[in-house]
Amino acid sequence: MSLLEIKNAHLKLDDKNILNGVSLSVNKGEVHAIMGPNGSGKSTLSYMLAGRDGYELEEGEILLDGISLSEMEADERARSGLFLAFQYPVELPGVGGMSFLREAVNSRRKFLGEEELDHLAFVKEARKEASKMYVKDEMLKRAVNVGFSGGEKKRFEILQMAMLKPKVSILDETDSGLDVDALKIVSDGVNAQRNNDNAIVVITHYQRLLDHIVPDFVHILSDGVIIKSGGPELALEVEKNGYSGLINAA
Amino acid sequence: MRHSIKDDYINSIKNYTNQYEDTNFRKIACNDFKSWPSPREETWRLSRLGSLSRKKIKPINPNLKKNNNNTSNLVGSKIIQFIDGAYREDLSSKLPSGVNLSVLSDSESLKYLQKIKKSNLSDHPSTNVSLSCTPSIMKLTVSKDTKVKDFFEIIYEGGEDSQSVHPVLYLELEKNSSLYLIERFNHLTSLAMPLQLIELRNKASLNSIKIFNDNEKTYNLSANCVYLSKESYLNSFSLIKGGIFTRSETHAYLNGRNAKLNLNGIYISCNKQHHDLTTAIYHDVPDCTSKQIVRGVLGGKSTGVFQGKVRVEQDAQRTDGQQMSRAILLSDTACANAKPELEIYADDVICAHGATVGELDDDQLFYLNSRGVPMDKAREILIKAFLEDMINQSVDNSLHDFVFKEAELALSSIITKEK
Ligand SMILES: Nc1ncnc2c1ncn2[C@@H]1O[C@H](COP(=O)(O)OP(=O)(O)O)[C@@H](O)[C@H]1O
Ligand SMILES: [Mg+2]
Repeated sequence: MSLLEIKNAHLKLDDKNILNGVSLSVNKGEVHAIMGPNGSGKSTLSYMLAGRDGYELEEGEILLDGISLSEMEADERARSGLFLAFQYPVELPGVGGMSFLREAVNSRRKFLGEEELDHLAFVKEARKEASKMYVKDEMLKRAVNVGFSGGEKKRFEILQMAMLKPKVSILDETDSGLDVDALKIVSDGVNAQRNNDNAIVVITHYQRLLDHIVPDFVHILSDGVIIKSGGPELALEVEKNGYSGLINAA
Repeated sequence: MRHSIKDDYINSIKNYTNQYEDTNFRKIACNDFKSWPSPREETWRLSRLGSLSRKKIKPINPNLKKNNNNTSNLVGSKIIQFIDGAYREDLSSKLPSGVNLSVLSDSESLKYLQKIKKSNLSDHPSTNVSLSCTPSIMKLTVSKDTKVKDFFEIIYEGGEDSQSVHPVLYLELEKNSSLYLIERFNHLTSLAMPLQLIELRNKASLNSIKIFNDNEKTYNLSANCVYLSKESYLNSFSLIKGGIFTRSETHAYLNGRNAKLNLNGIYISCNKQHHDLTTAIYHDVPDCTSKQIVRGVLGGKSTGVFQGKVRVEQDAQRTDGQQMSRAILLSDTACANAKPELEIYADDVICAHGATVGELDDDQLFYLNSRGVPMDKAREILIKAFLEDMINQSVDNSLHDFVFKEAELALSSIITKEK
């Protein structure tokens, strides 16, 4: 059984058709890349999966580990093991990074029937994971994403992923706004999370991220449908010929 | 135009003042109270006293045997206790050297009245009624060069149903002195009319926290007049959470160069509470700074009002005046009004202001939800952050936790009630 199953997803925003029948099946241990031009519906797809208000499906179905997500609110989906790394992480003035992480981790642990981590144990764990992402203690004391650089925001997203240990992670343009060094840190962080029990969906506009996070499958999204699927070579084709060639051929 | 008052209250004030012989300040004040402010008066338009004026109320005769409620105090603070508007030495702490508390004589009381009458609080109902009916004007003085280390806590309690209480305070910080002052309003009465005159002499520094937490039936019409001299500093923070109607009105006069004022406040309102923070800051001389951050959180059918006037006189060059107000509505039936008012007659000034009223941010809520945090918890986190952020910016470090806990207590009722 696949870990994430998207069946014929249709979605409208403001009466405009944005997703027009997306189907995708992601198995344990796999990394899938979804590529597509700007405005093709990539972020919409990720919000739809995460359960954002207003992004309810018009038609179709999504299953996480065999369980339908349609009736679940965003927080329940997250606790069930779905994670979205935002294209634009949101600033939370006044909410300290460390307490934010703790709130998130404990929500997930409670759901899994595990005990909440006590404060010290949590801080130790968080610091360990943070150092792997080159996130300094000082940054965890600051308010979430407030005054963070583009790279810091993305590193903080992957740190959250590492702490929450989700079943399925959707990474929405995690490479955007990163220089080469930051791209390497973030990719290494993601690769370290890859294992045989989880799955990762990498959404990107450019091929360069896929040199670092090498996908098993690549899908091209255009106008809210997947027009072509293949292996990593498909990403190179996009790199060489651009999206237009593929879209015209479809 | 003023609407006619029920003669009751005026008569009862007159009767009350008759117990005192020949005290001019009471007579003057009593004569000046003609009626409750009408909603046609600009600063009372959003905070109407109609239902108060229809109540049968009379000034209280303080009961000097009444006991205090043991409110949890700050550890190690010096307590000054008022009950029924009267100072109670028997329930107050011994004062350290350099701090003095005394009763104003009649002639000093007259001077007190004149100082307030010079200000724009001259017609405020609490000015006239409280000067008529206060048991006595209490003066707290910090002597020259005295830096008081202990926190001072003034606790105002007492009152009765259908009665009004009138604590009147005069606070003078002499040259180069400093004080941390926490005031708690915990009345259980129909009407409380605290009146204050604060004078900060050159280089004096006052950290002031006021917590309005009167009983749910209480009207509190607090009136405060502040004069700041050269290089003095007032860091003032008010938390309004109690009463059915609480209005704290402060007029601050920056009269000496390089005086610095922070005039911040939070209101947390639920049910049918009406909370009003009205301030006026007068920059009369050059080189002064005033900063104001006001935040409100409203649930139920509550109303919040912030009126903030900043007036910069022609001479007051290089004034720096900042004002920011933000209110968050947690229910469809709550309402917040913000009325900033800038009057600037000088040309070389930095003045900024902004006022917003809105709901919790959807993007922020979704971000928290997407991390597994349930909606109620997410709302709570954001509301607390909204207030904590501001508390951290505006009260002294050593008092963050204390103030935040006071705010949290009030929040718990609106967060769980509103869905
Ligand atoms: N709230 C909205 N209402 C209407 N249209 C929207 C809304 N948000 C996004 N869109 C439109 O949906 C399309 C897909 O957007 P998006 O999913 O952000 O694309 P991508 O992430 O692939 O760049 C775009 O045409 C965009 O203009
Ligand atoms: Mg996008």
